[in-house]
Amino acid sequence: MPVHAAAPPILAVEAITMRFGAAEDGLTALDNVTFDVAPGEFLAVIGPSGCGKSTLFNIVGGLLSGHQGRVAVAGATVSGPHAAIGMVFQEESTFPWRNVVDNVAFPLEIAGVPRRERIERARHFVSMVGLDGFERRYPAELSGGMRQRVSMARTLAFEPKILLMDEPFAALDEQTRLLLGDKVLQIQQQLKQTMLLITHNITEAVQLADRILVLTYRPGRVKRVVDIRLPRPRTSEIVSSEAFGRYVAQIWSDLREEASRGLSDDEARVRNAGEFGA
Amino acid sequence: MSAANTFSEHRWLPPLVGLGTFGLILLAVQLLIRAGAINRYIVPLPSDVAASFWRVITEEDILHRFLSTAWECLAAGVLLTVFGIAIGVTMHRTPLLRLACENWVGAMASAPLVLAYPLFLVLFGRSALTIIMMSFIVGLAPVILKTIEGLSATRRVLIDVGRSFKLTPAQQFRKILLPSALPTIFVGVRLGLMFALINVVALEFLINFGGLGQLINDLAERYDLPGVYAAICFVVLVSVVFFVATERAERWMKSAG
Amino acid sequence: MDEIGRLIRAREAPPWLAPVLRLSIVLAMLLIWQVLAVSGVFYRDVVPTLQKIGAALIKLLSGGDFYWNLWVTADEIGAALVIGGVAGLLAGLVIGASQFVASAYEPYLYYLGPTPKIIFFPVMIMWFGVDAGSKIAMGAASCFFPIALNVAAGMRQIDRVLIRAGQSFRAKPWQMALKIYLPAMRHPVVNGLRLGFGVALIGTLLAETKISNRGIGYLVVQAYNAFDMPQLYAILIVLFVIAIGANALVTRCGGFDALKQK
Repeated sequence: MPVHAAAPPILAVEAITMRFGAAEDGLTALDNVTFDVAPGEFLAVIGPSGCGKSTLFNIVGGLLSGHQGRVAVAGATVSGPHAAIGMVFQEESTFPWRNVVDNVAFPLEIAGVPRRERIERARHFVSMVGLDGFERRYPAELSGGMRQRVSMARTLAFEPKILLMDEPFAALDEQTRLLLGDKVLQIQQQLKQTMLLITHNITEAVQLADRILVLTYRPGRVKRVVDIRLPRPRTSEIVSSEAFGRYVAQIWSDLREEASRGLSDDEARVRNAGEFGA
Repeated sequence: MSAANTFSEHRWLPPLVGLGTFGLILLAVQLLIRAGAINRYIVPLPSDVAASFWRVITEEDILHRFLSTAWECLAAGVLLTVFGIAIGVTMHRTPLLRLACENWVGAMASAPLVLAYPLFLVLFGRSALTIIMMSFIVGLAPVILKTIEGLSATRRVLIDVGRSFKLTPAQQFRKILLPSALPTIFVGVRLGLMFALINVVALEFLINFGGLGQLINDLAERYDLPGVYAAICFVVLVSVVFFVATERAERWMKSAG
Repeated sequence: MDEIGRLIRAREAPPWLAPVLRLSIVLAMLLIWQVLAVSGVFYRDVVPTLQKIGAALIKLLSGGDFYWNLWVTADEIGAALVIGGVAGLLAGLVIGASQFVASAYEPYLYYLGPTPKIIFFPVMIMWFGVDAGSKIAMGAASCFFPIALNVAAGMRQIDRVLIRAGQSFRAKPWQMALKIYLPAMRHPVVNGLRLGFGVALIGTLLAETKISNRGIGYLVVQAYNAFDMPQLYAILIVLFVIAIGANALVTRCGGFDALKQK
C-alpha cells in the first residue's frame, strides 16, 4: 500500500487549531494538527477520550467551522460537507422509518438518481457489507452491528473519495468488531477506498490501518506517527501475530501517558465540583 | 458555541423579546385603527380596552362573578376527584372490571362530551347544576385513568415489602399503593381540574348563566366591544393563573413525594 | 394494560372474558335505562324508551337532512384543521428550530393553550361573520395550540445525528425538511393532529350550538328547542360514534407500527 506515495495526498489537514469559548477560559480542543492521507491509504487517528478526536472528525467532514488552518480535498479547501468526503458516525444514524435498501439509497435519492437505478445500486452496497436478504427489513429489526453496516453501506453508496469514520464500532462487542473489521478491510481492498478512521481502540487501529497518528490529550496535538508494516491483504487473524503485539505495545506506551492525564483531569474536575457544592 | 454562551448570559432576553413583540403588535393595532385601516367597530382600540378593564371590574360585579365561577369549579372539582379516584381504585382492585372498562374510559377521555350539554340543560335546567354536572363528567376520565395508572405502577418490590410484613389488603392499599400512586393521581386531578375550569367558563358562556362566562356573553349582547375584549383578557388571565398554580402544586407534590 | 395482557396470557382470564363482560355491562345498562324510561320517574321523554331512540336513529340516518348538515360541519372542521394545522405546523417548526425563539414565544402557546376558546366567539363573529367563517375560526384557534406545541416538541426530540447524517450527504434544505425532519417527527405530529382534531371538533360544534342555522350543532339545538329528546339522543350517539371512531382511526394508521420505531 502506498505510504510514501508519489501521488499528491488526497486529503491534506493543515495546522488545524480549534478553540471553543472566549480566549481566556475557553477550551483548546486541537492544536496545530497537520497530516496527509494518500489515495488508497488507511489512516487511523487514535487518542484518549477528550483529545478532540470527534472535533477533528467534524472539522474534516465540514460539519464544524470556526477553526484555524485548513482542510483540503485534492487541493480544494473544505468549507462544508464535501462531495468527496463520506462520514460514518459513531451513534446510530440509520433512519428508523426507512428499510435497509431505502436507507442505503438515500444519498442517491438526494442526488436525484431515478428510483429503479438507485435501488439497484443500493443493493450492490448492501451486498458488499454482507446484508443480502435484509433489504426490506427495518433498522429496528436489526442488531447494532448490522445497523452500523447499513450506515457504512449508505456512506459507500455516496461513493466518496474519502471515507471518514468516527469510532463506528464503539458500541459493539469485541468479537463483532473484529469481524466487522474484516469486512472493512475487504471493502477497502475491493474499492481501493481511502479511509480515515478515528478511534480509541488500539487493536482496531493496528488491525486496519497503514499508518497511525497518535494524538495527545487536550489540546490534541500529533504526538507520533507510526507506520504499520503488516502484510496486505489482512484479516483479523493478524491479531495473533508477534508484529501485531509489538505495534499495540508501542502505541499503548504512547497512549498510556495521555490517557492517564485525561483520567486525573476528570478526577480533578469531579473533586472541584464537589467542594464548591454542585 | 458562542451563541449558546450569549444566550445563557442574557436570560432576560427571550422573555423581553416575547413581551416586546406582543407590545409592538398592540401598538401597531392601535395605530392602524387610528389611521382607519382597521374598522374600530370590529376591533376596539387597545387603549379603550385597557380603559374598560377598571370599568368592567367595578361595574360588573367581578368579584361576585368570579366567586360564582370558582364555586362551580370547586364543586365539579370535588366531585371529579372523589368519584374519579373511587372509580379508579375500584377498577384497579377488580381486574375483571378493569379488563372490560378501561378502554371505555379511554374513549370517554377523547370524546367531545361537552357537546351533550343540551341534554344536561333538559335534565337540570339553566342552572349551576347543569354546569357543575357537565364539567364533572368531562373532567372525570383523566382522574380515573391516572389513578389506575398510578396504582398499577407501584414498584413490585414495594408490594413485596408489604407482603413480607404480612399487611392486610386494606393496609397494603393505605400504606403502600396509595402513597406511591399519589403523584400520578395528582397529575390526573390536575388535568381534571383544568378541563373542569375550561368547561365551566365555556358553559357559562353558552347557556348564559353563572359568573365570568356569562359576563362575556352579557357584554357581547350589549355590543360593549372594549368591555368584551377586557373581560376575555380577564378570563384568560384567571385561567393562566389557575394553570400555573396547579402546575406549581404538582411540582411540589412530585418533589415531596 | 400490560397487567390485563398478563392475566390473559397467564390463562387466569380466558380471552373471551373481556368481550363477554363488556356485552353484559352494556346489556345491564340498557336494561336499567329501559326500566327508568318506562317507569315514568322522569318527566316524559327525558329518558326515552330504547324503541323511541332506535326509531329516532333510523329516522335520522335515513333522511338526507342529517347528511347535509354533517357535510356542512365536516367542511367547517376540515377547513379549521387545514388553517390551524398549517399555522400550527409553521409555528411549531420555527419554535422547535431555535432555542431562543422557543424561550421567547413558546410559554405563550403553552399557557394560553388550556383556556376556554369559546369565549373568543363574539370576537370571531365580529371578524368573520355569523356564518361558517366564525365557526372555522373557532376550530382553527382551538387546534392551533396542540399542533404547534407538539410539532415544536417533535423538532426538539429529533436525534441530532440524523440531521448530521443528512447534512453530510449534502441534502438541500427542502430535502432535509421533507426526507429527514418530517419523517423523524411523525409520531409527535400525528399525536398533535389527533388532539387538534378533538378540540377542533369541539370548538366548531360548540360555536354551531351558539349561533348557526346549519350543521350538526344546529341540529342539536333544534332538537333541544323542540324538546324532541329521542332525536337529541340519536344525534349525540351518532356524533360520539364518529368522534371516537375518528380518534381511533388516526391513532391506528398514524404510523404507530412497532416495526418502524427506533
